[in-house]
Amino acid sequence: MGTFAQQLINGISLGSVYALIAVGYSLVYSILLFSNFAHGGFIVIGGYTCYYALRSMGNNIWVGGFLALLATGIAAALTERIAYRPIRERTDIKLYLLIASLGMSIVIENLFVVTIGGRFRALPPVIPTNPVRLFGITTTSAFDLLSMVVAVIFLTGLQLFIKKSKWGLAIRAAACDLRTAGLMGVNVNMLISIVFFVAGVLAAVGGIFLSVRYTLYPQLGAITIKAFVAAVVGGLGSLPGAVVGSLILGLAEMLTAGFISSQLRDLVVFSLLVITLLVKPTGLFGKEPLEKV
Amino acid sequence: MGYFGGIIILLCINSIAAMGVSLLTGFTGIFTLGHAAYMALGAYTTAILTVQYGVHWFLAILAGGVISMTIAYLIGIPTLKLMGDYYAIASIGLVESIRLILENWQSLTKGARGYPGIEGFTTLPVALIFLVVMTIGMINLINSRYGRAFKACRDDYLAASLLGYNTAFYRILSLAISGFYCGIAGALMAGFMTFIQPVMFDMMKSTELTSVVVFGGLGSLSGTLLASTVITLVVELFRPISQYRMLIYGGILVAIMVLRPEGIMGSWEVWDLSKGLSFVRTKSKRGGNDGLS
Repeated sequence: MGTFAQQLINGISLGSVYALIAVGYSLVYSILLFSNFAHGGFIVIGGYTCYYALRSMGNNIWVGGFLALLATGIAAALTERIAYRPIRERTDIKLYLLIASLGMSIVIENLFVVTIGGRFRALPPVIPTNPVRLFGITTTSAFDLLSMVVAVIFLTGLQLFIKKSKWGLAIRAAACDLRTAGLMGVNVNMLISIVFFVAGVLAAVGGIFLSVRYTLYPQLGAITIKAFVAAVVGGLGSLPGAVVGSLILGLAEMLTAGFISSQLRDLVVFSLLVITLLVKPTGLFGKEPLEKV
Repeated sequence: MGYFGGIIILLCINSIAAMGVSLLTGFTGIFTLGHAAYMALGAYTTAILTVQYGVHWFLAILAGGVISMTIAYLIGIPTLKLMGDYYAIASIGLVESIRLILENWQSLTKGARGYPGIEGFTTLPVALIFLVVMTIGMINLINSRYGRAFKACRDDYLAASLLGYNTAFYRILSLAISGFYCGIAGALMAGFMTFIQPVMFDMMKSTELTSVVVFGGLGSLSGTLLASTVITLVVELFRPISQYRMLIYGGILVAIMVLRPEGIMGSWEVWDLSKGLSFVRTKSKRGGNDGLS
């Protein structure tokens, strides 16, 4: 019972980190309808910015975290400006955007390999990881609880931004139909920059937590594949879907690791993807009927 | 055989694999990040059949191709019936899963340390004959009814389906054939290296295959062969600065997509070039006349 509760908490905590990443990815997908493979790069940028900010400006997680979020948001918006906008403005073919995003993900990852080196680094101990006794049933790490709380805060913030603000309204309109939103007077380029900025900020939060969990290295971004799968399980382009999908994925992964074999956890993720596509291809919350060919 | 002969064999193998990806990405317009998985399947099937069961290498190579084709077909059914990036995401999952299975199925694949002692059957003539036969096969396929159906699915799946093409069938068929090509390439790789390891077929290899096709031109077979030659040679020449290799790949991918998304050759073939030039000339002449009148 104790182990089960522990794995449950681990799973939800991991799932909430995936959710931060998957929501950003899904947000971009809902507007531009392509998988931004450079999203993993944003995580790495967030992690490394936080690492260097902490190292050079004293171990203050507030400063480091803020700088990491800001830098990653700007990097994400810049990525869109440099690599995607020229393609977007010329053609409608999503394949070109996919290839460009693959290129950007390779560039970001290898920029870190070449300049900083592929060494594994641990963030300075600014985020508490000491064990916490929970309701007398189980012991868990303070870090797990913290990552859940932070994820909830950021996801609520995003929800408020999307539901209450004017730009949020524009994002919702663009998710329905980008072209029509543009014709109604929404500054589409500005909107897409904002979407990428928000996605980058969320990815940075995920990146900081992932680099505490798994240490920091340039290939850390490869973990976004799980966020992509989570987004598909929840329904591509749907934000609540991305959150629920991430939680399911985190739980499935941790329960497999805890009770079957930790080597099988990635296989479980992939099987979950295939099962979703076979049984309910729209995912749990996919609203629009998918185009089936 | 020597170093030079080795490079030629490697060239043949890479070209066969790149042709497979070219069919899927260039001619059918489906993005993949996991074709190294099919190479791994082909390589391991051949290795296990020849070493453990004493099957003749030629049959083992074909078996490798067929196994890859079957797996590709099975993956294609859930993912390619849907429009969207489902196959792209599944392909990353696939390459990771195959690697995990190969590393953990100790009794069959000898795990992460690799599979030694494979007969060195891929000699220069064998590699060249395979390349020639597979190239002729691909040219015929692309210029056949099927090839036109693939291109129709790429350019406008709605129009293609209105013309009575079962686009899902053609998309899955294209994936299966491209899996076959990569399986054969992997099998030849096993016979060339005489030692295979799961890490030889990772994401980086998949990325390389996709990059080759993009460099060469989406929808140009000779472009793919040309790019495959150039890249194999460049990789050999620049071994000393190999840490920059991926960075340069990524940069070039983005640059090509931004500046010239058609790649080096566009959709032209080398053998169309003389025809092409005269076509361009007549077109410009006609254009001039239009300007005058």
